[in-house]
Amino acid sequence: MGKIKKKRHKTSVWDKLFTICNTLFMIAFVIITLYPVINTLAIAFNDGTDALRGGIYLFPRKLSIKNFTTVLQKDNLITGAYVTVARTLIGTMLSLGANALLAYIVSRKRFLFKRQLSLFWVVTMYVNGGMIPVFLLYKNLGLTNSFWVYVVPGMISAFNMLVIRTYMNGIPDSLEESAQLDGGGYMTIFVKIISPLCKPVYATVALFVAVGQWNSWFDAMLYNRMSSQYTTLQYELMKLLSSVTNQGNSVEAMKNAAGAVTPTSVRAAATILTMLPIICLYPFLQRYFVTGLTIGGVKE
Amino acid sequence: MDVCLLRKGRCTVKAKKTVSLLLTAAVAVGVLAGCQDTAQTDANGGQTASGGTEAAGNGDGEIKEFTAFFAVPGSEINDDNEIMLMLGELTGATCKETWLTGQTAQEAVGTLIAGGEYPDFIDGGDGMAQLYEAGALIPLDDYIDQYPNIKEFLTEEEWDKLRQDDGHIYWIQQFGNIYGEERATTHNDEAFWIQTRVLEWAGYPEIYTMDQFFDLIESYNEANPTMEGGMENIPYTILCDDWRYFCLENAPQFLDGYPNDGSVIVDPEELKIIDYNTTPTAKRYFQKLNEEYHKGIVDPESFTQTYDEYIAKLSTGRVLGMIDQWWNFAYTVNDALKQQGLDEQGCNYVPLPITIEEGMKNQWHNSGGVLNVASGLAITTSCEDVEGALAFVDALLGQEAHDLRFWGVEGVDYEVDENGEYYRTEDMRVQSSDTAYKASHSCTYSYFPQYSGTSRDGINAMKPEYQAKEFYNSLSEDVQECFAAYGAETYVDMLGTSEAPGPWYPMYSYSNNMTTSTEGGLAWAKMGEVKHEYLPKVVMSDDFEAAWEEYMKVYDSCDPQAFLDEMQAELDRRVEEAAKYN
Amino acid sequence: MGVVCLFFRIASSEKERRMEVGKASMARKKKEKIHEPKVKITWKEIKRQKVLLIWAAVIVAYGIVFYYLPLAGWVMAFQNYRPKDGLIHSQFVGLAKFQQLFSDATFLRVIRNTLAMGVINLAATFIMAIVFAILLNEIKSKGGKKVVQTISYLPHFLSWIIVTGILHDALSSNGIVNELLVRAGIFDQPLNFFAHPKFFWPIVAFANVWKETGWNAIIYLAAITAIDPSLYEAAGIDGAGRFARIRYVTLPGIKPTIIILLLMNVGNVLNAGFEIQYLLGNGLVQSVSQTIDIYVLKWGISQNDFSIGTAAGIFKSLVSIILIVIANMIAKRSGEEQLF
Repeated sequence: MGKIKKKRHKTSVWDKLFTICNTLFMIAFVIITLYPVINTLAIAFNDGTDALRGGIYLFPRKLSIKNFTTVLQKDNLITGAYVTVARTLIGTMLSLGANALLAYIVSRKRFLFKRQLSLFWVVTMYVNGGMIPVFLLYKNLGLTNSFWVYVVPGMISAFNMLVIRTYMNGIPDSLEESAQLDGGGYMTIFVKIISPLCKPVYATVALFVAVGQWNSWFDAMLYNRMSSQYTTLQYELMKLLSSVTNQGNSVEAMKNAAGAVTPTSVRAAATILTMLPIICLYPFLQRYFVTGLTIGGVKE
Repeated sequence: MDVCLLRKGRCTVKAKKTVSLLLTAAVAVGVLAGCQDTAQTDANGGQTASGGTEAAGNGDGEIKEFTAFFAVPGSEINDDNEIMLMLGELTGATCKETWLTGQTAQEAVGTLIAGGEYPDFIDGGDGMAQLYEAGALIPLDDYIDQYPNIKEFLTEEEWDKLRQDDGHIYWIQQFGNIYGEERATTHNDEAFWIQTRVLEWAGYPEIYTMDQFFDLIESYNEANPTMEGGMENIPYTILCDDWRYFCLENAPQFLDGYPNDGSVIVDPEELKIIDYNTTPTAKRYFQKLNEEYHKGIVDPESFTQTYDEYIAKLSTGRVLGMIDQWWNFAYTVNDALKQQGLDEQGCNYVPLPITIEEGMKNQWHNSGGVLNVASGLAITTSCEDVEGALAFVDALLGQEAHDLRFWGVEGVDYEVDENGEYYRTEDMRVQSSDTAYKASHSCTYSYFPQYSGTSRDGINAMKPEYQAKEFYNSLSEDVQECFAAYGAETYVDMLGTSEAPGPWYPMYSYSNNMTTSTEGGLAWAKMGEVKHEYLPKVVMSDDFEAAWEEYMKVYDSCDPQAFLDEMQAELDRRVEEAAKYN
Repeated sequence: MGVVCLFFRIASSEKERRMEVGKASMARKKKEKIHEPKVKITWKEIKRQKVLLIWAAVIVAYGIVFYYLPLAGWVMAFQNYRPKDGLIHSQFVGLAKFQQLFSDATFLRVIRNTLAMGVINLAATFIMAIVFAILLNEIKSKGGKKVVQTISYLPHFLSWIIVTGILHDALSSNGIVNELLVRAGIFDQPLNFFAHPKFFWPIVAFANVWKETGWNAIIYLAAITAIDPSLYEAAGIDGAGRFARIRYVTLPGIKPTIIILLLMNVGNVLNAGFEIQYLLGNGLVQSVSQTIDIYVLKWGISQNDFSIGTAAGIFKSLVSIILIVIANMIAKRSGEEQLF
């Protein structure tokens, strides 16, 4: 810390300059990242056929809510929404629990197979058997045509586990040791001492898992194609999108696909509709990520 | 210290929240458990779907439920779709259709085969051959005779064309089948298209060659560089996005006066395969494009634009001309032009009968249907009621069912005039293309066998778009005027109709299914890659000759002869097969 | 380490807390230097860790079933796999599929493209996320911070097709970028960015940064919350400026997270993507735009050849594992956080 002292007299000028630059940077960043979202909004609220012409930037040119009604009229959307909410809730909790437990185990200094167990999971990030073997496995496990295919297979992810583990590694051993002296077992320490300290990282992982669950549709298509009671929101939307997206390579396919609404605008509306719930969820999680809160809390 | 208190306070609040969250979860699990039960029964229902069947055995009152998967993109209809239910009453069965989503046909079919469970009906699209190889399909030959409508659907020769190498028929090609008199209205295929305003400005001249076509566009653009609104015209654009690059690459076959065999030219006299990529015409065509590119006539963004951007450009009415397949642009672009009133400015497209030299016969449009033997509707081994399934297909080909599928409900989707002729009001036309309406009301079973041509009543067309009056009334005024000037009544009249090509047609039904497992297939795939990269380069090059030479060198290194040999073998086979019927 | 103080804050007064924090951070520093204790496998130890071992066994069983069992599918790479024959009856062809891959000049080019884009994307998105998280942390206004963060992660929810559509629009010859460049006199006439191979990789990198920076930053923001505020206060008392605080407090605080993510991402350089290159590419730039995944679709699946895809997948896996093992060794040598 000695080095810092030398600069003391300069800091205030630098500070101000830094603040200005940083603010400018953030403003630029916000504009650049907000633009695609606003553009999507504008297209979503624009008449579909008119949107074909392009040239819509910040505001709709020809206001219409038809795109939204088209999306919302999709059959099975309600079923899809129920399933998606269920898989998001259950999937997130299962996944968070499993990843946290695993992270807890491999972050114990004394754990005998610490390295081996970590390696075992790290490898899973980089290998995969391919679509067909996985399909066969799930089929033989009875996971196809069932809800559980959404929450069981992806429950543990090495990425999330490692993120939690890194955080847990930062917690001093002394806590664990003193708790052990008090007669607490490993599980008690995990639940009562470590987990409460890991809220920010739990929130992060929960967000990752929840978003993943919320947005996924490929599994619904692959494993539950014939079981419409397990359809998901995103799968229904994808079906709608791929039917209006002009992918057909023949008269028949195009006629079959072509509708009065157009892919860009319906896609935009669908995107906005699926983003909304996540955006609403975010503020509840955000307080764990924004340090200002904690610091502010201390100062008061 | 107060900080701590505050924290503790918060903690208890949080604890409460956690509890409530857990409760929610418990409820959710409960709900799911409930779901699970119903799921079980539903899963059985699903089995029924693939069985269809048990219900069928029970008695006549029950409506069977089949399932179908089509490995092409398509629109799913609602479970309570009105016409689907009406067809259910009529035919005794309904079918739940699912379509390709976010996968290639091969992937989708590959997983289905691996799992060994299929829907009752399937059209594997590009993966059809895999299904056959996997033994997933039921041979239909023994059944066909029992179903008059199915039997009638194809001729003996056509049925034989569908036979696989084991001698059995596994699928019914659904499309391109003309009943009775042919009704040609729209030219569904490829052509050089031009806006009516250009033709009108020039006094509707006769345009027969590529040079005349570009001269006209050039002089129009010089005289009218902008549209009415002041936007600059784009004289000519070429779509080149991914597989849609046919707009750039396959014109030489048409310019030489051959039909759309797609991947090669077939010389009908000698019965020889000709490579259209290396003909003098090909060179002239690309040289022309090169010249026009440097004159600024060819849109500089041609080779980098995406399909969406291309459609956007056409929709603004700025593009004077292009080469494309009708289905690739018209369904979306025409609506957009109309909505903006650009049809009144003459922004609609009409096709021109262009060849490389004047006086050649053009074959942009051929009469007769196209039997693409590569895929079709098949019944799988998972179907427990093959007869019921075929009875359903048979019933769907009946006139009443066919009218319900494509025309809809009388009084709702169309009206009948005193001569028994069907017509639609403007409202009905608009309604018929509404996505939500289609999902809840219309049910065309669009990948089941169907007819074009004339209805069994001898008055109407099988499908609305082929009904002459209906067609003419839906045209914009500028197109009607243009047609009148050329003495045409339909798009097809603009080009003239050639006779159906020989029995080998179309050769693309073979090349589309080639894979890299054969030398010819490998060459074909490589040729595609090379053309994708080099054709744009050739057109943009400052030194055409050098660029062409380089392209030809790389092209030759793909071993195109291997491909041509395999095509020749297939052509010979097809000709030989056909000879049996003469 | 900040978590530590969070805990202590509840238990101890301000002054005590400071002392504890000092100890904790010192303890941590020591820990970094000293090698971790080797625990020998003894019955006593096993008994002690019984509960951990049982759970670990359950988790390993799960991992074997869901991650390792499907690897039986790798046998496809050594077969001429046909769906009709399945995994068991397909014909074995030895290493033919690998030979086919590596004798194809296109595949070698595709590896180059994938690696190049993987490395560029990794560097760009990785650095940007850290920079963004740190700078965001320096924003004093709570509200501002929240707003910026909320907005920054929104593009993550847009599909690539939307993002690339906007990008295409912006970079087209009458798009905003060309307009600005021409007006500024940098170009005489609009440039068609997508027609030149040299722009392709930077455009892809930019798109990745654009879409994912805010999202990727979330992990770092969470890590920053773990930094004890008193360390900032202490630094402030010592007269540290903003840069010094970032350098001596924030960065060291999130270093373990940075290292772990870097290690994981190093293994991912061959997963440079599919969609974005597929959507942004065209014939003119295909020599630089095609990635392994695109190659697999084009020359494998679309040709009904499922084996080629598996072979390419095995190749990717091997490279990834070799890379992370090396990276992990380096991390171990330098006494940093490790993956395993």
